[in-house]
Amino acid sequence: MNENGLKAKLARFLTNERWSGLNVSLLCIVLMFIVSSILLLILGKNPFTAFYSFLAGNGFAMKSSYGAGSGMLSDFFQFLNIMAPMLLASLAFIFAYRCGLFNIGISGQMLLSGFVASVTIGYMKQLPRPVAVPLVILVGILVGGALGAFVGYLKFRFNIHEVVSTIMINYIISYLTGFFINSKFVDPISRASKIISPQARLTFTKVNIGGYLCNLPMGIVLAVVMAIIVHFIFEKTVFGFELRAVGSNRSAALYSGINVKRQIVFSMMLSGVLAGLAGVTYYLGYTNTILPKTLPGMGYDAIATALLGNSNPIGAIFSSMLITLFQNGSNYMSSVLGVAKEIASVITGILLLFSACGDYFRYVARGYLDRLADWTAEQGKVLKKEGDKK
Amino acid sequence: MNYINNMIIDGLAFGIPLFIMAVGAIYSEKSGITNLAVEGFQGFGAFCGAVFATLMSINSGLNDQVILYLAIVVAFFGGALYSILHAMLCIKFRADQTISGVVINILAVALTTFLTSQISGVLYGTASNKFMLGVSNRFTVPVISKIPVIGAIFTSVYPFEVLILILAVYMWYLMYKSKFGMRLRACGENPQAVDAAGGDVAKTRFIAVLISGGLSGIGGMCFAYSILSMFSPSIYLGYGYLAIAAMIFGNWDITSTFFVCVFFGLARAGGNQLCLKAGLSSLYTDLFMMIPYILTLILLMFFSKRNHPPKAAGEVYDKGKR
Amino acid sequence: MGANKEEYIVEMRHITKRFPGIIANDDVTIQVRKGEIYALLGENGAGKSTLMSMLYGLYEPDHGEIIIRGKSVKFKSPSEAAEMNIGMVHQHFKLVDNYTVGENIVLGIEPMKKKFGIFPYVDMKEANERIRTLSKQYGLEVNPDALISDINVSIRQRVEIMKMLYREAEILIFDEPTSILTPQEVEYLLKIMEELRKGGKTILLITHKIEEIKKIADRCAILRRGALVDVLDVRTTSTQDMANMMVGRTVALKTTKSPAHFGDLVLSVKDMCVRNEDKVETVKHVSFDIRAGEIFAIAGVSGNGQVELADAITGLEKIESGTVTLNGQDITNETIRKRTEAGISYIPEDRQKFGIFMDFSLRDNFAIRRYYKEPFSKNGIFDFKVSEEYSDRLIEEYDVRSGQGGKTIMRSMSGGNQQKAIVGREIEEHTPLVIFVQPTRGLDMGAIENIHKQILAERDRGAAILLISLELDEVMGLADTIGVIFNGKILKIADASTLTSQDVGRYMMGVTEE
Repeated sequence: MNENGLKAKLARFLTNERWSGLNVSLLCIVLMFIVSSILLLILGKNPFTAFYSFLAGNGFAMKSSYGAGSGMLSDFFQFLNIMAPMLLASLAFIFAYRCGLFNIGISGQMLLSGFVASVTIGYMKQLPRPVAVPLVILVGILVGGALGAFVGYLKFRFNIHEVVSTIMINYIISYLTGFFINSKFVDPISRASKIISPQARLTFTKVNIGGYLCNLPMGIVLAVVMAIIVHFIFEKTVFGFELRAVGSNRSAALYSGINVKRQIVFSMMLSGVLAGLAGVTYYLGYTNTILPKTLPGMGYDAIATALLGNSNPIGAIFSSMLITLFQNGSNYMSSVLGVAKEIASVITGILLLFSACGDYFRYVARGYLDRLADWTAEQGKVLKKEGDKK
Repeated sequence: MNYINNMIIDGLAFGIPLFIMAVGAIYSEKSGITNLAVEGFQGFGAFCGAVFATLMSINSGLNDQVILYLAIVVAFFGGALYSILHAMLCIKFRADQTISGVVINILAVALTTFLTSQISGVLYGTASNKFMLGVSNRFTVPVISKIPVIGAIFTSVYPFEVLILILAVYMWYLMYKSKFGMRLRACGENPQAVDAAGGDVAKTRFIAVLISGGLSGIGGMCFAYSILSMFSPSIYLGYGYLAIAAMIFGNWDITSTFFVCVFFGLARAGGNQLCLKAGLSSLYTDLFMMIPYILTLILLMFFSKRNHPPKAAGEVYDKGKR
Repeated sequence: MGANKEEYIVEMRHITKRFPGIIANDDVTIQVRKGEIYALLGENGAGKSTLMSMLYGLYEPDHGEIIIRGKSVKFKSPSEAAEMNIGMVHQHFKLVDNYTVGENIVLGIEPMKKKFGIFPYVDMKEANERIRTLSKQYGLEVNPDALISDINVSIRQRVEIMKMLYREAEILIFDEPTSILTPQEVEYLLKIMEELRKGGKTILLITHKIEEIKKIADRCAILRRGALVDVLDVRTTSTQDMANMMVGRTVALKTTKSPAHFGDLVLSVKDMCVRNEDKVETVKHVSFDIRAGEIFAIAGVSGNGQVELADAITGLEKIESGTVTLNGQDITNETIRKRTEAGISYIPEDRQKFGIFMDFSLRDNFAIRRYYKEPFSKNGIFDFKVSEEYSDRLIEEYDVRSGQGGKTIMRSMSGGNQQKAIVGREIEEHTPLVIFVQPTRGLDMGAIENIHKQILAERDRGAAILLISLELDEVMGLADTIGVIFNGKILKIADASTLTSQDVGRYMMGVTEE
């Protein structure tokens, strides 16, 4: 053992009281790079080329060639377009998680709010954009919020665990919306729902910026603003403090007079609101259409993204950037490397696996430091004894 | 009449593989490990079985139906192998069990999809997202199958249904009568008691999760050989989550869960048959698919107080904690 | 015995055990003879339980040697200790609630039989038969078919003892077995211990109660801060000497208390009933009053409704019928917050579960009674400067030791300092009613003395005190008035000076006739 050895330094890095969250996430990312590089090497591919092409696919680096009218900027905006719902979805998870609740139902909440917004505002062709866009956002808020509040209500009135109820509700929504899309709103060619009117889209399509055609997403502005608001709520307000108190120790929160049941419903409802916003930015901003009977995988990815961001709203901005980088860049990477694009999901999965072990890294580091402290004490004792003898 | 027969035949063909997945989930949860990973286990198990079956049918010249049963065995081991990940995360790496389940599912979809395209690329020259498997043969028991209504139970049966039921009886016996089962259930209620009595909590839980993975793999493989007739990402239709619903509905009891699964199967098949009979478009079947989930929710509203999940499920067991 | 005096059944030589940050045992040596009752006396945290846990195979010592019947052993697990016929009754029972008594006893050494000669199964019939036989042999009444969830603590403890006997344990370790029992149940247990000694068993008794040692033990090892102080012959040592040795200084065995001055009526509970979630009535038609300057203590065996009673007063449990009045104000149906604001302070039983937020800073934990009010926050937004100043003041005033002042995360503080923080936070509110539930559980003697002083100071300030304690000594030592609760009913309310602990113990068992 050595007080200033590499191990000790790493352990202190991971348990640093102020930065532990960030540092553990960084460790996860480093581990991810190592493991996925090994994986790529086994497949006979150059990891550096792979990671470079992930960057290039998202407009962070130059591709070797571009189609007419597109460039780095168009790729970058496309990246922002898909990052927006990812960030909102992970904020949705964080909002419930900080209050000690698991919102596994983000997928369902996204799907239903996207569906309702599509079939109402999205298919009203005559609405002008300044009316349609706020309405879409409002529908997202209302539908997501209502669903979330329902889950919270089931918990506080009937004591049904939110993980169980949200799983049930996810599939109910999936089949229900699937039925309506297939029977009423289906596009016979794409087998998905008919595309929505351009006025209702949360993306300005084909805007010419410096000669490049870009899709400017409004969602990203919304998402980042939301991240800041959520951060403010948790750090500076009484409401956020009470949510955290309920999440940290429900019994103690009850004892200190916090209305725990009400805060559970509120937290679930606001989590639903954020999921609803994720839903409308995803379906009315990014995809433009809905695949029937398909829960968006993003709703589950968001859980892990939130975790990687240490359940911190600002952290979530960076973690959703990273995850989106892999998912959105997979097509270009695949075309460059000739590896199936699903390797991107595998890399994400590995990252999630490590971030699920975050507490373990901290636990091991703490254990190591404790043993180190004992060892140092013992050494001191031995030295002292030897000194006494002399 | 025919509709009712078909409902029973299809209902059992769906409910019984679902049941074996639910039994797996019960094993895991009764030992104290929350298991949302059934969906991933069944998919990965089925993937292993499908790869095996594809390799065998190209290289071995064995009969398809023989390969099928070997593939089910491989799926068992594949599911168990993959479940090690969940077991390690929950037991060794102290991950939150719910989160671990979610991550395991995400990773299963990613891994199997990726490997399917890599392997099919090698085998067929062009990458594809599926392995075609065909459908299992069925058999009808003579004489008994002629009895009205009840006879349908013995009509057009997939042989794997029988195998699963035999296996399930054994799993029931293991859970409620054996030494292992007695310790396993205690691990989910009060792991300290098992530890103090000289049992190995971590090992028991590890085995329980492995059993869960294996049984889920069997379930997934059976779906691949019946409803889907192939392995593809469509294996992740949420049947794993439905098995969890069945387990909760059945109050973590193997016998009750059996009836719940049969009921779920009948509700689903009944919906299909009703659509056929009423001449409705098959789209309406989606509405019937919601029934099990809605019923589970309603049941929980009225009986959540009588619903007893294992007390220690979801908690990291710390040996040092007194 | 004289001849083989030096033949020890258990020897633990030079045992040292460290846990992260502390030395639990420092070079401890004990030697136990076959057939004796050997007591280990020491305060909380003196290292008694750790020492015995090593003998029982839960931990391995860092240094030192364990010798059983002359053979050096290294236990890797409790099952290895069990093979050497060592058994232990833990302070927190290790029982599976939804299993029967019989199933709990055989867990880990299940007797197997084969159905049809092939299918092995656990044979409960034979097991239950054996349990009944053992039960008669030692006068230890247990019903193997009863569910654990249906039996009370005293019978649960018998199940734990039966577990050891079923395993044919010869060396029996008891960890604080009497702390949860009534005096009568203690008598019963001590009788069983006698019975076991007669049966040739060797008993190691961990306790901090000197009277019990005096009553039953042959020899007594005293531990202090992980080190062995001395081993005494119990018959020739006085109680006071043992107490002094245990604490390391002269202690007052009795709390000195100034005479009471009762003021106006503060809390009045009338005909109160409470039902729990399963609709079972836990508190039944309870009525009592507490005046300013009075300590009203509720004595009772754990699980007789005293926690529910306190919860109903603070608002955690719904009151089914009856009224609670605080300073003339009816608070029966008020929210928890309204009640605390009406003038209740509360020091809960389980401080880490109810009293504090372990992941929050000391500052936030201090602010928990006031954060939602000005000046701590305005319009729902915090002014952290105020809570920082407040926490600095409380740290100073109540001598709370913390690494980084108000910024310290609660989890990193010691148990004693956590308790100081809670008591300080609650006392600082200067409320007319202060409720203490098991305020000294798990604390060492110095800290207990300190808390007792603070309870008395609050009373002398003029607060009404509701004290709920399972420790009869604490009740007898502090109370002005005692109410005894049994099965949800208060059987007796009387001036403390008119009751002996034997009287109270009788009521605690539900006996109302003299």
